[in-house]
Amino acid sequence: MTDPVPFTVIGGFLGAGKTTLLNRLLRDAGRRRFAVLVNDFGALDIDGGLVAAHDGDTVALANGCLCCTIGDSLVTTLLGLLERPERFDHIVVEASGVADPGRIADLAVLEPRLVRDGVVVVVDAVDVRERASDRRLRDTVMRQLQAADLLLLNKIDLAVDLAAVRCWISMQTAAPLLESKHADVPLDLLFGLDRAGGSSDESSAEAFASWSYEWSEPVERDALLAMLREARGGVLRAKGIVRFADSADRRSVVHLVGGRLDVSDQGPWGDTAGSRLVMLGLRPMLGSLPRETTT
Amino acid sequence: MTITVYSTRRIITMNPNRPFATHVAVRDGRILGAGSLEELKGWGKVELDSRFADKVVLPGFVEGHSHAFEGGVWKFPYVGYFDRTNPDGSRAPGLKSIDEVVAALSAHEKTLPKGASLLAWGFDPIYFGGRRMDLADVDKISTDRAVVIIHSNFHVANANTAVLAKAGITRTTNVHGIVKDAKGEPTGELQEMAAKYMAYRAAGVEIAAVLSDEQAVWRFARVAQLAGVTTATDLHNELPDSTVDGYLKATASDDFPIRLLPAFAATAISPAEGVPRLQALVKRNNEKLRFQLVKIVTDGSIQGLSARMRWPGYYDGTPNGVWNVGPDDLDRVLLAYHREGFQVHIHTNGDEASEVGIEAVERALAVAPRWDHRHTLQHAQMADAGQFRRMKALGMCANLFANHLYYWGDVHYAKTLGPERAERMDACATALATGVPFAIHCDAPVTPIGPLFTAWCAVNRLTASGRTLGEAEKIPVAEALRAITLGAAYTLKLDEELGSIDVGKRADFAILDDDPLLVPPEKLKDIGVWGTVLGGKVFEAPRR
Ligand SMILES: [Zn+2]
Ligand SMILES: [Zn+2]
Repeated sequence: MTDPVPFTVIGGFLGAGKTTLLNRLLRDAGRRRFAVLVNDFGALDIDGGLVAAHDGDTVALANGCLCCTIGDSLVTTLLGLLERPERFDHIVVEASGVADPGRIADLAVLEPRLVRDGVVVVVDAVDVRERASDRRLRDTVMRQLQAADLLLLNKIDLAVDLAAVRCWISMQTAAPLLESKHADVPLDLLFGLDRAGGSSDESSAEAFASWSYEWSEPVERDALLAMLREARGGVLRAKGIVRFADSADRRSVVHLVGGRLDVSDQGPWGDTAGSRLVMLGLRPMLGSLPRETTT
Repeated sequence: MTITVYSTRRIITMNPNRPFATHVAVRDGRILGAGSLEELKGWGKVELDSRFADKVVLPGFVEGHSHAFEGGVWKFPYVGYFDRTNPDGSRAPGLKSIDEVVAALSAHEKTLPKGASLLAWGFDPIYFGGRRMDLADVDKISTDRAVVIIHSNFHVANANTAVLAKAGITRTTNVHGIVKDAKGEPTGELQEMAAKYMAYRAAGVEIAAVLSDEQAVWRFARVAQLAGVTTATDLHNELPDSTVDGYLKATASDDFPIRLLPAFAATAISPAEGVPRLQALVKRNNEKLRFQLVKIVTDGSIQGLSARMRWPGYYDGTPNGVWNVGPDDLDRVLLAYHREGFQVHIHTNGDEASEVGIEAVERALAVAPRWDHRHTLQHAQMADAGQFRRMKALGMCANLFANHLYYWGDVHYAKTLGPERAERMDACATALATGVPFAIHCDAPVTPIGPLFTAWCAVNRLTASGRTLGEAEKIPVAEALRAITLGAAYTLKLDEELGSIDVGKRADFAILDDDPLLVPPEKLKDIGVWGTVLGGKVFEAPRR
């Protein structure tokens, strides 16, 4: 069986900037083939020069990416995508404005061909608090904030009381918060570290950095996980294949997206060299981490 | 042209100028008149047809909210608690225990080819004294092929071990909608997204097309016709080309027994694409197929605890339901279709959803004033008197889900809504008193299609356990009959061409064995349907 495909859900209200973010992703996909499931092609306004083929509810791009409109049923659209002969490196779903993106991410848990990557919720810095005070929308806003592994606070250039917005959000959820104008954030932070072609630093803004650890000896599970938990908020993404001391003959995969940390077993350790962990996050936070962990 | 005059026991016309008649004359598929034989002979030479001499004739029933999916699911075995009529007219008997369901499906399993999945539908465990179906039950049907039993609400399913194993579901799987027992083991019951995903996984994605292909729409039409229906909606369909082709082919046949109105699922694509698409479809309308309706689904269902409720919410304290299409998108999409002159049907189960639907119409009218739009709240199950007054003021209609009173009334009383709100749900009498034009519906396949049963629900308001749910909201038989004929036609903007037996209208009739105005109201649902007449063509139901 081939490796499962990482599955990311982008949530957030209408107008928060989900489409802007997806446009960036499709433009800057590099050599990775993304399949993006969107609610409306029209809103994406894909550059005509980039379109290789348009067939009903799918658009194939020259860079190997594919867009599908979700239509009425995400379930059938996703299953249809998985039946296609092409393989994708990553599948991204744009949740509708009122959907609970956490529920959609559950699909990756039910589907062995997918692996849950993260739930990114785009928040409109201008009107999120106003929406949250509308009695008909309040619980929907809260469900989205609480489902997020990573929050993207967008339109910070337009918000008049940014400090208050930040403070309000931090009271609603513990998920780390990235800030952006026009959804301009390093895409690696949202969609993974294993970008083909070029180091992740190239596309990262000044404030972000990547950091990697290697160990030749087995690693203490508690120490490593404690370090990652402590660094949460600063470390926005981490991925590693680790040989833990308590299960030294197994390959353990450590996967952190924003506030969510998963450790899974991926079979026998085999003849892989040492453990390796790559992290991506805010530069000051990473700078303060210990270079060595006790092994 | 031949004039056929049918003699009858009695004709109930829904035409107040001449509410009853003994004879009806038909020419060119249309009604020439209803009256005495002498009066009708004035039109010229007539051929007298007396096959309905002992029958009672009503305008053909109009089902304002059903889904052609009803025809799709009949491809699979029905395992519900209540008896249900097959498209071929035979009775599918209700299964009264989990063991009966398992036995029926075990027999069916033996007929399936190797490797095929087994799907069944209509299961409803609420009548089994609290016992739920579990893996041990479903594994008795088969341990190697995938088995998925879909519940009557279409939001929950039971699967066997083969299905769970394929998806890697174990006690450690932490996903919403996977029901676990007291020991933390999955029971095989799946809800919402998990249920839908597993059903499609087991059945294959092609199933979506099978469920609304030409054969499915034929089965749907037959089930409807058996119940006296001559016009029915398919009230939410994305209308992909394959479905449209099937509809065009089916409705081109002289033998196709109903007029079909699909409602375009407006939020499946952006209005910029959807409006021209629907405009193009309208040009392909024929005598039996009418594209003109638009549907938007705002919230979930009350029994699924996913309806959007106003304060104080669910009686049992369950958190508020979910938006399918929230207030922002509803405003935007509704306005786009409203501007182009379309009539929009808005699914609103909870009262907060109804509020949002009403306000969206109010805003659309402020931006783009329009007369006689007849935007309709579908279900509007919890709408209260105030909301009905607003609907009236805005020129809206309501289509109330009367069948819910019987099938889920007990659950609404005890769990979801509590006594007060359960007693005033599907408020037909309030609609009547406030003057909101209304219909009543079945939402097939959620409940079986059968307008006489639906009328019985609105008249008697009895639950499955026999409780009367809201004496004050009962309506008289005559009003209920109007709601399943002319009333429903009004909510579909068809009232000028059908819905009553009146000069110039289409010759669409329901032919009944008994007189609904003379039988005791509690017997309304038991009246036999002999068949129908559609555009002057007689469709006799197969004798059971
Ligand atoms: Zn509905
Ligand atoms: Zn419906």
